[in-house]
Amino acid sequence: MKILLVEDNERVSQFVVKGLHEAGHTTDHTANGRDGMFLAASEPYDVIIMDRMLPGEIDGLAIIEVLRKAGKRTPILILSALTEVDDRIRGLRSGGDDYLTKPFAFGELLARLDALHRRSQGVNREIPLTVGDLHMDPMTRKVTRGDRPITLQPREFKLLEYLMRHADQVVTRTMLLENVWDYHFDPQTNVVDVHISKLRQKIDAEFERPLLRTVRNAGYMVTAAD
Amino acid sequence: MMRSSALSLALGCVALGIAALVLFAAPLYYAWQVTIQDGRSEILQADALRLTDIYRREGGEGLKNFLDARVNMQIAGDRILLLTDASLQPLAGNLAAWPRALPATAGNYRIMVDMGRHGIQNSLVHVTRLGDYVLLVGRDNTLFAPLERRFWYGLIAAVAVLCIAGLLVGLITRRALMARVHSIRHTVSAIIHGDLKHRLPTDRSQDELSTLASTINGMLDQIEQLVHGVRNVSNSIAHDLRTPLAELRSRLEELALIRPPPEATFAEIDGAVADVDRVIRIFDALLRLAEIDAGLRRSGFVAFDLVDLAGTAVEFYAPAAELKNIRLLLHAEASLRVSGDPILLAQALSNLIDNALKYTPEHGTIDVALRRRTDGRAEIAVTDNGPGIDDSEKAKVVERFYRGDASRGTPGVGLGLSLAQAVAKLHGSALELSDRGPGLRVVLAMALCEAPPIPLAEARSSTLPEASAYPRVSKSTG
Repeated sequence: MKILLVEDNERVSQFVVKGLHEAGHTTDHTANGRDGMFLAASEPYDVIIMDRMLPGEIDGLAIIEVLRKAGKRTPILILSALTEVDDRIRGLRSGGDDYLTKPFAFGELLARLDALHRRSQGVNREIPLTVGDLHMDPMTRKVTRGDRPITLQPREFKLLEYLMRHADQVVTRTMLLENVWDYHFDPQTNVVDVHISKLRQKIDAEFERPLLRTVRNAGYMVTAAD
Repeated sequence: MMRSSALSLALGCVALGIAALVLFAAPLYYAWQVTIQDGRSEILQADALRLTDIYRREGGEGLKNFLDARVNMQIAGDRILLLTDASLQPLAGNLAAWPRALPATAGNYRIMVDMGRHGIQNSLVHVTRLGDYVLLVGRDNTLFAPLERRFWYGLIAAVAVLCIAGLLVGLITRRALMARVHSIRHTVSAIIHGDLKHRLPTDRSQDELSTLASTINGMLDQIEQLVHGVRNVSNSIAHDLRTPLAELRSRLEELALIRPPPEATFAEIDGAVADVDRVIRIFDALLRLAEIDAGLRRSGFVAFDLVDLAGTAVEFYAPAAELKNIRLLLHAEASLRVSGDPILLAQALSNLIDNALKYTPEHGTIDVALRRRTDGRAEIAVTDNGPGIDDSEKAKVVERFYRGDASRGTPGVGLGLSLAQAVAKLHGSALELSDRGPGLRVVLAMALCEAPPIPLAEARSSTLPEASAYPRVSKSTG
């Protein structure tokens, strides 16, 4: 992925650029809102990471608004130290696609960038999903592994669907909370893990090769790879 | 004299009263004067006309005789009559000489006339020229003077009474008001000097000052609670943030000191990150609380179905409950539309269920019940059959960072119930905690969105599938 990072904190940008490089992405970085806007408007990026509060006269949200008005559809992840629910809503309303508050875990950032990138490539809600021998048909809501049908509760279906749409990507607990349950807070306990293990019980328990894996310190991944 | 609103008000009323009196009296007086004047002029004119007739019929001598006869007949000093020749020498009438200031041209005049024995009178006179004669008829103008004087005295007396009454009322009101203001000022200055325990005196009169006093008392209650809260929070922050920070510090220091092999170092670093995450979680919870307390989120109020929200929460926690062999039940009507902040309510409810899950023993039951109350509000009640909370601790558990004895050794930062409490307050009522012997029942109420008198629909009781319906699962390794 080609990523633009607009972030004025040197420490944070170093950490992000290095991390993204290790994950195999190319990153352009600028600490300045003006340059950020110029780069975002002229270069073809896959994803833009935008800090909300930038030095100088232009702030992150204003840049996003300008880009959106100019017809730029590049997915944008807003990075902000403002944690209030209203700030989040304002950020998304200005044209941002996702919102991550500082301080954040790098795994969370990476997972969200992947998800944004995949989403921007267009999701066909009707095409059946396949990971290894696990099949899901969103239209008929049928799930099979090999030739064995699997019965899922509606929420389990939604959980698996989200994981399968992001197959081979790490999906964090926060992403699952937001997208499967629409919960925008931290429920403190490991409830998501319990849901995952129930789901794992249904799709993996009686099969040799597990598809739903736990990624240490990050989240989960559905993958058929070794 | 001190500036006093009561006194100013009374004086203002007096001024208004005087103005009203003047407005009432002035046109009256004017109309009165005009009427009298007009009447007099007409009478004089009529007199003059009649005498002119006599002159026309009987000539100068005839008029002279008539006037002499008339003067003898009338009451002395009543009517002024004078006939002179062209050089203004008196020929007949009751005036000794032509008044000095009076011109000899025809018309009406107001002059002072010397009536000899009857003194000088303020008179209205009419002058007519009849050939070589000049005729003067007039009347005393002071006939109505006593009446007019009485009018003026009356007016002045009314103004005086008004002024005195106004001043008295003003002074009395001011005294009464000052007494109460003094007591308020006294209390407030005690509060300014740091003693938040004082409250303003209120009485049952429900008058403006009393209402104001109880409003201020309400404000003081809130301030006292906030100050108390801030004190508690700073103490608690000191404790609850210091603990993970201390752990973090010793972890890092140990790393630097011992320099263990890479594998162990990474494990320690992971531990350090977890410590930091704990600190961040506490901060997030505090920020969220501050945000709710500031009441800023009230703008996020929308209408939504509470039953959906509770359904999601119960479903969310069902697997966790199952793990502990706890029955998690939902009792609700078909739908309950309420006005509130769904994000915060979801968080509050999730905290309540989470809390119940922590304290309910294995094979216990947690019941989430939604209902429409008779007071037109909707409520969510989360009831567990755990150990419950002592009455003495009920008020404390909703305080920030308070962790009951029972919670020692369980995970959590002690902000769950505080957040639920803050959310409850944002939605208009405090969290109600009661005993369900044994067990705890927590109720959160909010405004219903619609109030149609729908008969209580048959309560739909949805029970989650028994544990046997699910295969038992082991805890995830994540």
